[in-house]
Amino acid sequence: MPTFTYMTRCDGCGECVDICPSDIMHIDPIHRRSYNIEPNFCWECYACVKACPQHAIDVRGYADFAPLGASVRVLREEAKGTISWKIRYRDGRLKEFTFPIRTTPWGSIKPPSDYAPADANALSSPLLAHEPDALMVAALPMLLAFEPAQG
Amino acid sequence: MSLFSSRKTRFVDTDILVIGGGFGGCGATYESRYWGRNLKITLVEKANIERSGAVAHGLSAINCYMGMRWGENQPEDFVRYARGDLMGLVREDLIFDIARHVDSTVHKFEEWGLPIMLNPETGRYQREGKWQIMIHGESYKPIIAEAARKSASEVFNRIMVTHLLMDKAHPNRVAGAVGFSVRDRHFYVFRAKAVIVAAGGASHIFRPRSIGEGVGRTWYAPWSSASAYGLLLHAGAQMIQMENRIVLARFKDGYGPVGAWFLLLKAYATNAYGVNYEATRFEEMKALVGKYAEITPVPTCLRNHAMLQEIKAGNGPIYMHTQEVLNSREKEEIGWEDFLDMTVGQAVVWASQNIDPKEKPSELITSEPYVMGSHATCSGAWASGPEDCAPADYQWGYNRMTTVEGLFGAGDTIGGSAHKFSSGSFTEGRIAGKSAVRYVMDLKGEPPQVDEAQIRQLEKTIFKPLETYAVGRNEIVAGSVAPSYISPLQGLQRLEKLMDEYVGGISTFYVTSEPMLNRGLELLTMLKEDLDHIGAEDIHQLQRAWELNHRVWTAEAVLRHTLYRQETRWPGYYYRGDFPKLDDAEWHAFTASQYDAKTGEWRMSKLPVHHIIA
Amino acid sequence: MFTDNPFIAAAAFLPPRFLQVYVILMVLAVVAGTLFDLYHKRSAQFFTQQRAQSSAAATRRLSGADVASIAARTFAHDVATFGEFCNPSRRLSHVLMFYGFVLYLVTTVVMVFGYPADPHTPAVLPVLWNIGALMVLIGGYWFFFFLRVNVVHDGQPPWRLVRADLFIVALLASVSFALLFEWVAMAGNPMATRVFFGAYLFFTTLLFVSVPWSKFAHMFYKPVVAIQRRVEEADGSSDLPTPTTTGGERCPPSPT
Repeated sequence: MPTFTYMTRCDGCGECVDICPSDIMHIDPIHRRSYNIEPNFCWECYACVKACPQHAIDVRGYADFAPLGASVRVLREEAKGTISWKIRYRDGRLKEFTFPIRTTPWGSIKPPSDYAPADANALSSPLLAHEPDALMVAALPMLLAFEPAQG
Repeated sequence: MSLFSSRKTRFVDTDILVIGGGFGGCGATYESRYWGRNLKITLVEKANIERSGAVAHGLSAINCYMGMRWGENQPEDFVRYARGDLMGLVREDLIFDIARHVDSTVHKFEEWGLPIMLNPETGRYQREGKWQIMIHGESYKPIIAEAARKSASEVFNRIMVTHLLMDKAHPNRVAGAVGFSVRDRHFYVFRAKAVIVAAGGASHIFRPRSIGEGVGRTWYAPWSSASAYGLLLHAGAQMIQMENRIVLARFKDGYGPVGAWFLLLKAYATNAYGVNYEATRFEEMKALVGKYAEITPVPTCLRNHAMLQEIKAGNGPIYMHTQEVLNSREKEEIGWEDFLDMTVGQAVVWASQNIDPKEKPSELITSEPYVMGSHATCSGAWASGPEDCAPADYQWGYNRMTTVEGLFGAGDTIGGSAHKFSSGSFTEGRIAGKSAVRYVMDLKGEPPQVDEAQIRQLEKTIFKPLETYAVGRNEIVAGSVAPSYISPLQGLQRLEKLMDEYVGGISTFYVTSEPMLNRGLELLTMLKEDLDHIGAEDIHQLQRAWELNHRVWTAEAVLRHTLYRQETRWPGYYYRGDFPKLDDAEWHAFTASQYDAKTGEWRMSKLPVHHIIA
Repeated sequence: MFTDNPFIAAAAFLPPRFLQVYVILMVLAVVAGTLFDLYHKRSAQFFTQQRAQSSAAATRRLSGADVASIAARTFAHDVATFGEFCNPSRRLSHVLMFYGFVLYLVTTVVMVFGYPADPHTPAVLPVLWNIGALMVLIGGYWFFFFLRVNVVHDGQPPWRLVRADLFIVALLASVSFALLFEWVAMAGNPMATRVFFGAYLFFTTLLFVSVPWSKFAHMFYKPVVAIQRRVEEADGSSDLPTPTTTGGERCPPSPT
């Protein structure tokens, strides 16, 4: 269902413009707030919905096949590491869910250049970074001698 | 460029250029940095790497994980599985290579913070199925993007790469790429020693099932604009299996995933009358594909075939009986999270149509066709395989290098390497990244040189649609109908219609034939000519114009390969009405094409399928 | 000097009564413009409908004291310090523009009505008038060239004007010409004084008369909707999920 922006909630910060994978969230020239310029290229990935600090973006099911009146709203709490969903059916039923999104602090990934550099042997071997340790088996599987055979 | 144009040319010099910031590109960036501490590594993405690519929503499962640490699977078994699913035609060396490395990728993902569900009894990763594990994957892409940002020398977001640049001194060697910024509108020239293309495969080359806004809800991302193939074709890279389009059986309209439902929750599908139809269609499948009908698990295309036959017989709609399996809150959460982590649109369909999966079944349907290289399909570039185990004619130097020197690929770009999904694509990116580092370090003599004249010519070509619109617009009063140009969307709609009607889309139940393909090629050729007359109203439309360009060229490759393979290898993906059966005697081979930009000719050939695993 | 009533210079060619009538007309233009906007665009009707719907969906009843406390908190946080803005630069520039504008307007009204053409106007008034004007210009030009979202995030060149710029351009032009008029008057150039005063009057008129078509009125709407939003959070009618952290996470770090 394509996205739309609530007039009363958008304060024109541009986060949605920056994040949209489809390049379809842009700034309206009359109100200087965001809007979806191309709903037929909206995948409903919810990237903009989650990124909006004012919760100003919502989704209305694709008119081709989604009857009106339902809502699927999301709250992504990045620091806490959770995502919460509130789903209201067209007939009023409510479902709520919360799921984890990350187990480590944001920004905590160790850069690859912080690891001890690999030696020249490793460079010419089939091993990738952190292997074989990161495979958690003794050695990288290799194929023993094979006879190339046509199928 | 006009007198008052403020457009500048920005040159970026780098060692390794990674085009595409999805899972393949982020993997390539990470690994390049690990092995090339002092190299300059530049990542370019047309959107923003934080959420770009097919994993924009997130994912609910990792579909490629061996679990070697627990003795769950071995890479050889994975090769057999993927080979069976693709009816025998895969690059076994490439798949083995990914399967033996993918566990280390997944373990790093967990270390980085991806929450993987655990089986409470065994303490191991919770399996969805034999090869798949369940994750809480809403932030899968942001986590991976963080790793890429910490690896690249620089990340350029919002730059659409339109063409690769070739070395002017050294034949058949890549020298960089050109493109434009979708924000500051400047022309960008990247000069590189090695290029890794990890761009998207093709959505929107066949008419989608929906017709209005709903065309946005394709199964594969609408921003997968076939740039992986569009860039490589023009560089003269050899491509394989472009006819191997994929059709998916998914929840109708929302295209929500079915894996967790079938494999983990053990739901089943029936026709409208409650009949489990798959089993009843076995004999007829055997008549089409012979011994391949006995492969277990049943190949994806054959399952589609059974569903199609059922629908054609008038026994639809086909239903997934979710209501039979959601007998606990925990299962209900798994079922909903499956959608909310990766296809929120399906949750919106349920809420809008008052479908509670605990109470009602949901319709399944086969999708429109897609062309890509990382799923139950393997279209893409012919690439050199792993040096330690690839047959001699499968390798010519660096692992994952295409037939163009210095040009590497990962993810949807690479052909023959099926069933990679997210973890496998990242892994293939890692493989390509390490190879590119070795290639750069081995480079002797002059680094690749770009051709100044070619760059200026490309600049004109790239920005021409803006000119076409601005000038041609003067002919009409207003509106979208002009005699001298068409918009990118109008071009896309023409492409989707002709591919659907002539190259085996939904309107023909995926059937095509030589007469149909020849007619389709006539129309496609005229569309290709009309690409010179695309009018782009603004910079966003210019991006759409080049996405269309990549799609049209990819569509031609798809058509030519479909014409070339004279058999029906994957019933349920597509059918040759004139060659309705599988023909191993003639066609147990890869179809290959190579486009010569100088002569405009396509050279088709067969490449051997070697079975290196018994 | 900056301690002199700037409007004295206008008295050379305009009777003080003119300015007084003008100010009243501008106030009426804003009121009429806002009411017209609410009525013609049906936004008042829409907002009333929304409030009724959200009241019907409320799961908790809020007392008068609750609502008053919400309004006070909204005023203190969202209105007084522009707390809604997550970006500190945007927040600061709005603080400068808003308080500068209020200061400049109030001192204008006091001088025009209280000390018309009076050479003994208390120095504090013109000084505050100048400070207010400078705040508007600093905050405003900073906003116009460096902070507008369509320029910073959507890639538009700063000199391309769209309708959303009507308010900021008219405001900046009005206040710029106000100061220019004051300066040429201090320098003693009668021709320039008339010309700049004419421009000042033109852009000031444009500013206040264009309310139905510009972003001017968001100054009034924003506080109202901020209160409504907090009411919905408090009375359970919001369709957003309940935060797992108390109060939710305001202003998550921007990844892009």
